[in-house]
Amino acid sequence: MPIIDQSFRRGDFVGGEEILAFEKKVSELCEVKYAVALNSGTDALTLALRLLDVGSGDEVITAPNSFIASAAAIVHLDAKPVFVDVLDDQNIDPSKLEGAITKNTKAIMPVHLTGRMCEMDEIMDIAEKHSIPVVEDAAQSIGSKYKNRPSGSIGKIGCFSAHPLKNLNAFGDAGFLTTNSKEISEKAKLLANHGLKTRDVVETFGFVSRMDTLQAVILNFHLDNLEAVISRRKVNASIYSEILNPKFVTFSKARDYALDTFHTFVIQVDKRDALKDFLASEGIGTSIHYPIPIHLQPAASELKISEGTFPVTEKQSKRILTLPVNQYLSEEEIDLIAKKVNYFFEASVNG
Amino acid sequence: MKVRYSYLPQQFENADDLWEELKEFVKTGDFTLGEPLKEFERKFAQLIGTKYAIGVNSGTDAIKLSLKAKGVSNGDEVITAANTFVATVGAISELGAKPVFIDCDDTFCMDTDLLEAAITEKTKAIVPVHFTGYMTDMRKLMPIAEKFNISVIEDACQSILGSLDGKNAGTWGNSGAFSLHPLKNLNVWSDGGLIVTDETDLANELYLLRNHGLVDRDTVSIMGYNSRLDTLQAVVGNWLIPQTHSIANKRIENAAYLDRHLSEVDGITIPPRPEGYKIVYHLYIVFAEDRDSLLEHCIKAGIEAKVHYPIPIYRQEALTKLGYKEGDFPVSDAHTSKIITFPCDQHLEKEQLDHIIKTVKGFYSH
Repeated sequence: MPIIDQSFRRGDFVGGEEILAFEKKVSELCEVKYAVALNSGTDALTLALRLLDVGSGDEVITAPNSFIASAAAIVHLDAKPVFVDVLDDQNIDPSKLEGAITKNTKAIMPVHLTGRMCEMDEIMDIAEKHSIPVVEDAAQSIGSKYKNRPSGSIGKIGCFSAHPLKNLNAFGDAGFLTTNSKEISEKAKLLANHGLKTRDVVETFGFVSRMDTLQAVILNFHLDNLEAVISRRKVNASIYSEILNPKFVTFSKARDYALDTFHTFVIQVDKRDALKDFLASEGIGTSIHYPIPIHLQPAASELKISEGTFPVTEKQSKRILTLPVNQYLSEEEIDLIAKKVNYFFEASVNG
Repeated sequence: MKVRYSYLPQQFENADDLWEELKEFVKTGDFTLGEPLKEFERKFAQLIGTKYAIGVNSGTDAIKLSLKAKGVSNGDEVITAANTFVATVGAISELGAKPVFIDCDDTFCMDTDLLEAAITEKTKAIVPVHFTGYMTDMRKLMPIAEKFNISVIEDACQSILGSLDGKNAGTWGNSGAFSLHPLKNLNVWSDGGLIVTDETDLANELYLLRNHGLVDRDTVSIMGYNSRLDTLQAVVGNWLIPQTHSIANKRIENAAYLDRHLSEVDGITIPPRPEGYKIVYHLYIVFAEDRDSLLEHCIKAGIEAKVHYPIPIYRQEALTKLGYKEGDFPVSDAHTSKIITFPCDQHLEKEQLDHIIKTVKGFYSH
């Protein structure tokens, strides 16, 4: 690892040139003026909401089918997550958004799940009408586009994760936020570093959420490969689309105005659990993102949202299955997996 | 002669075996809550002498998560020292609690004689800061905390292997918070921290809090955070941990040498070195007359002396709304104009220590 070696013989472990280089590169990729390197995608969400002054008694609108981190970020600021159900593609349903807005709504946080961006035009129209800032949870959608605009460049702030399982991944936890606001980027840097204006002056209370310099070195290296990673995943996804039998398997259709980057490739099927077991017996590992919606988690019991409140999300949670789609899988392997899925249903029908 | 403050380039000069271990580790892809982290947590708990050690993202998070696990929230009060680093207070504030300050004494730690008067019915926790590698007088503090049934979270970020009457920093309270920041005595290559405790319930809560509240991959029992110590950093930690005792001992040796010679200088006062205290000298601080001129003189002579810290936390901009004012903590205030920090780390040569001594002596002889 000569790239790491060089940087560390200097003893540059916190901050430093590699961080600045990463922030510059990734801001160019996301077509924003500023990027701020942070310790995780979760921290990016928490920080973004704090930068928008979300606090006690405020409400933040988000999707109920995301990873827990988006809701936790809201709860930790003593604010209330308000959920809006999703479309067939698992992203927030803009037609239900306006009904969820109250005088306490302080931010809207659409989640670009699976590497597919939300219907941002409709979301932004509603947000602008009510003057509510939008924070894009882009943790799963680095490089994704909507009408030629990259994820993280449309809302006031974009939040990204570079966790080892993400398309752009570090060797540990890492994340960043994007924005076109100079004020927000400067304040984010301050808050992520104890609120220290200089070594000796504390301007405001912050926390510690610095991206490790070491992880920035890795990310700078991986950034150069991101396009290749995405195009391999797109090829894999297109093979699935061609082969999977639409009679039994549904999945999100490509939109001619959007670029999906397939952090995950999720299908929706009947007999999901049986299919999962069948594939496992064939040596194919699959996953479910996520089997229990946020509002039905024990951690959300205080929100007192009963089962049945978000029917689309709840139905999907029983039908979704994530198939392997990563860049290391060959076209032959994807072809084989798709055929196994078809076989499972076709055989059950015949049998 | 140069006496630099940061020794990081030296520390990892001859680390070829560590590089090999890192290369092997990267191939495993075990990046999040992986095996090397579990190994490091076991070794660290053993080093300090507790049942559990839980790796988190920073020393700040170690304090924050400990307080959160002990139920500190909006409107509660948390007592801490008026001269600490901002992180202690940041952790308290982030939970919506109010920091209540107590002045320090000449050991740079909380003056425990002032503790009882600061306790109110809202006091939920006490965070003694074992600042600079000293120990707070835990013999006095613990009985008071127990009397009022208040949790104690030791901020031991600067005092790995510091002890009082043979009992280590971090083992006195409900939990102890440690930092692994690159400038700490046991350091990884980034931010990092650990929480030590003997309490099983507390440890279980902390395992959840640091990892999104996930009981298993799919079930979230509490709203948590993402505050994991990177497994890659644990590989660095495992490499360093056998050196921890010798790092502490070398610093103690260097400090004794500086003490012996600087105590001869009119104008320098060595802080008390009380019986029973093992001080690990994360920072080596003495009191100096005409400090600002001495600081300038030292810097000109190539010595990276520093001041920890010129503005006490309670007078920082970020705390104005708490309403403290200059004069509220006279000992902390008086320190700000007298304290000076000299390099004292394990990588210094005797010539460099002698250069510090000679330079200080030279300053006061004019």
